[in-house]
Amino acid sequence: MQASTRIWRNFDIWLLAAVAVITIAGIAMIQSAIAGNESLAETVPRQTIYAVIGLAITIATTAIDYRIWSALSRPLYIITLVLLALIPLAGIVGFGSARWFNVGIVNIQPSELAKILMILIVADYLARHKNEIQRPRIIVRSLLLIAPPALLIITQPDLSTAIVIGVIWLALIWAAGVPLKHLAKLLGVMLVIILIITPFLAPYFLNEYPQQNDFKLFNRYTIMKYYQMQRLVSFFLPDPEAQYGETYNVNQARITIGSGGWFGQGYGQGTQVQLRFLKVRHTDFIFSVMAEEFGFVGATTVLLLLMFIIYRCLNAARMARDTFGALICYGVAIIIFFQGAFNIGVNLNLFPVSGLPMPFFSYGGSSLLTNLIGIGLVESVMLRHKQIQL
Amino acid sequence: MANASGSRHVPKLRLQVTYGVMAALTILFIGRLISLQIIQGEYYRELADENRFTNVNLAAPRGVIYDRNDFQLVNNIPSYNVYITAAYLPDSEAEQELIFERISELTGVPIDQEGPPAAPCVPGRGIKQLVLEGRTNRPYDPWPIACDVDVTAARVLREWQVDMPGVSVEAVPVREYSTGELTASLIGYMVPIPATLKDYYEAQGFDASRDKVGYAGVEGMYQDVLAGSNGRKLVEVDVAGLQIREYGSVTQPVAGNNLRLTIDTRLQDVARAALDLRIDLINTYAGERRSPLGAVIAMNPQTGEILAMVSLPAYENNRFARFIPYDYYEQLITDTRGRPLVNHAISLEQPPGSTFKMVTALGILNEGVVTPTQEIFDPGQITISNAYYPNDPGQAKAFVCWKEEGHGNISYLDAIAESCNIYFYKVGGGYPGEVEVGLGIDRVGMYARALGYGAPLGIDLIGEESGLIPDPYWKRINLGESWSTGDTYNAVTGQGFVLATPLQVLTSISTIANGGRVMWPHVVSDILDGEGNVMQHIDPCMLWDISDGVITPLENIGANCPTLPQDLRQEIIESRETTPDMNIEPWVIELAQEGMLKVVTEGTAHGRADLENISSGGKTGTGEFCDEVAREQNLCRPGNWPTHSWYAAFAPFENPEIVVVAFVYNGGEGAVTAGPVVRQILEAYFELKAVDAVTQ
Repeated sequence: MQASTRIWRNFDIWLLAAVAVITIAGIAMIQSAIAGNESLAETVPRQTIYAVIGLAITIATTAIDYRIWSALSRPLYIITLVLLALIPLAGIVGFGSARWFNVGIVNIQPSELAKILMILIVADYLARHKNEIQRPRIIVRSLLLIAPPALLIITQPDLSTAIVIGVIWLALIWAAGVPLKHLAKLLGVMLVIILIITPFLAPYFLNEYPQQNDFKLFNRYTIMKYYQMQRLVSFFLPDPEAQYGETYNVNQARITIGSGGWFGQGYGQGTQVQLRFLKVRHTDFIFSVMAEEFGFVGATTVLLLLMFIIYRCLNAARMARDTFGALICYGVAIIIFFQGAFNIGVNLNLFPVSGLPMPFFSYGGSSLLTNLIGIGLVESVMLRHKQIQL
Repeated sequence: MANASGSRHVPKLRLQVTYGVMAALTILFIGRLISLQIIQGEYYRELADENRFTNVNLAAPRGVIYDRNDFQLVNNIPSYNVYITAAYLPDSEAEQELIFERISELTGVPIDQEGPPAAPCVPGRGIKQLVLEGRTNRPYDPWPIACDVDVTAARVLREWQVDMPGVSVEAVPVREYSTGELTASLIGYMVPIPATLKDYYEAQGFDASRDKVGYAGVEGMYQDVLAGSNGRKLVEVDVAGLQIREYGSVTQPVAGNNLRLTIDTRLQDVARAALDLRIDLINTYAGERRSPLGAVIAMNPQTGEILAMVSLPAYENNRFARFIPYDYYEQLITDTRGRPLVNHAISLEQPPGSTFKMVTALGILNEGVVTPTQEIFDPGQITISNAYYPNDPGQAKAFVCWKEEGHGNISYLDAIAESCNIYFYKVGGGYPGEVEVGLGIDRVGMYARALGYGAPLGIDLIGEESGLIPDPYWKRINLGESWSTGDTYNAVTGQGFVLATPLQVLTSISTIANGGRVMWPHVVSDILDGEGNVMQHIDPCMLWDISDGVITPLENIGANCPTLPQDLRQEIIESRETTPDMNIEPWVIELAQEGMLKVVTEGTAHGRADLENISSGGKTGTGEFCDEVAREQNLCRPGNWPTHSWYAAFAPFENPEIVVVAFVYNGGEGAVTAGPVVRQILEAYFELKAVDAVTQ
């Protein structure tokens, strides 16, 4: 009992504070982004509810000893698969692909939850086999571990989440210490696969914007939806004639960011945001909203805040008392980093459009909850990082 | 064991690589932010302003048109159009679908329906197809989806506009022609600004995608007067094109001026009915479309004011008010015989027939070719030998009078009254033994031009043609043949190569009727401001006077007419090589008038076109022609040619107030077909005059 209160002294208050600041700032920016749009008026209270619930869950997750998840890894894995498999049956169809469960007032997106669960499962697997980490079969087996959920997510279709899962796996085997030569081989295999796929991609790049065909291998297996192909194509080969549609959103984002200047146009005053020239303002392009209304100073602050959060997670990974804990922290850091960097990169027109939300900042309950659970796990590891306090 | 500083479970180097990647990306992002916000900030602020500021072109109300009794002929009514700006539609297809459904429900335009490509506003395609068109043509401009929707739908859509980004509703003024077909050829219609003239009109402040311009008739001729000038304001708009607020000063649009025409709609109505009835009669009787077209003009010979102008077949200009419907337009232009879109009263060039004899009638007396009492023998047929083969009877050509047995000995007045061909052949072209030197083609040409033939008269309508006064030079150039006496014979009777518009025939008769003044024919009497005050009265304008003993130099024609539009004056002058003015003795004109009086009292028009109680002078014309239809039916043989029916008359004889010409294509004899049309119009004119006298 005494120990359980004493461990709270290790609680990383700076991490939670940074998360709280960025979440609240995010809600404020969502409020500004959706101003005047009645159909989106619910987003602010909803995001607030998620944030409050999320905070409670964070504390709860912190309180629970993370090692319990190691023991529960098999049931967790099965739960993940069942949830993902159920989506096509029970999910509600939104924007062309089924990703949500409707649970009361909140929609839960199992693939979001899957990100955290996959961190736990892969981390557990790697921690259990840390003594044979040199063996190539670790790579293969861990890959087989993530393959079923990843494939289920692809079929939703939700390529970006599947990619995030892939990134988690890659980050974790890297952090677990898989020898570089294996990683190099892995890289080689991936390169070969890309080389095999490229000829199939060629028509999308060569025939200036082909018919609306999904990208399929052997005319059967859908790898990418047409719109995903288009995004890729329009990023790598922007058509100077086509100043609308695919390039519209990113062009508007650039204008929005650029018009912010040093200190921005003021909260609720950003012309491109308030007059709705910027699209998907409250989700994919919330960073642009920040950049227009608070300028370079505001955007940089948010960027640095996010990097600070990632840094604190990596710090926890460094200090963790066991491999499982370290890998959890590293995994959480990587999903926040990967999604955050990709989102900002899209906003800044550096990366192709992906639809990845900005952690804590973008509107999206499932994503916020997932990230807060991740923070809870990191805090849980942090609390118990000193063996002496067992 | 605790290793507070170093990593125990993640290899240190790998952690450091992670930090490195983070740092690199952070620097990249901050660098990009500096580049976008600080270095290129100004540029992007401009782009942002370009997004949110729009120059709104404020449409100027177009002037309306009244007839001479202030009866409103043209009105402006609002027509509501629904537009979609493709680029501003929501990204999600589901949301787009919802918007399309709502529009479809209200306007009845199907959501998804393939159709043949057509101009905007032409129904046939679904909303999706139209949006695709807009997306591929002008994604950032509103593209018409449904035109002329009803007021309720327009209001409901405006209410919903906030929730439907990319959708806009605009009220566009369209023309309503209260007299439609009756005045279409006169008033004309409006068309969208053609691509070739886009720059020209945009420089004048027009919005080529919205504004229309007058194309034919008064709408076309007075485009500048009617259009006014568009206003301009700078507004901030949101992505849906909704105007949030105004910036800076507003240039208010200046409404176009109204016009008052010289037309009397009631007389127009009578003229149309009379002509329509005649043509109908001919066609019904023949059981085929024997006469495809006709024209009537009534004018005040003292002022040149056009009182009525009818061209048949007509078209319904109200059907062009909103858009040009393809099927209807196609139907109109494929009628190559009737050519409904052409105002035949000013554009048709046909042989004027015997109405042209008045030219010769003036010439022979003025030049002393014959005296008024000198009798010429009409045996019914004369033969002239071929000048180049005088001894070959086979080359000789026979010319006949319309009356086979001939008129016997006939003098000036009777020759006009009876329209004696032989008389005019002999005095016009000369006849060995009787008239040694005829008037000759050159002098015929001079007198013809003096009466207004051979070149446009500058009427303030679009499409006036010049007709043709042939001469030896013309024949040499165009046909490669020498002029012969037979050609002169043909020309003096308004046959052969002579071509004239109904307006020219009218002007020639009008000039004789008023004693020699060639008046500028015009249809607009006043330019009015919005309150109906007269801003400018279009004064009657005498172009030249053939009886005043003074020859007006070409460059002085119209010089004393301040309200004669400059471009029309230029046209009158530039279409002529020399001045048309001549010196014609007043007694010659008086005798010509008397001849025309006799036409009505005992001549060719007697019993057909004479009025009760009111004296009138007139001249019939039966112009032989040979067109493709006649050729196909093998009618183009001497003595068998089909004929146009002409009649031109003025009344009252003593002090003419009105001169009328009627023309019926392939209408047979002048007196029979055109005569009664003119008589009906003259009767109506004097009846209306009596009615007006009572009511005032």
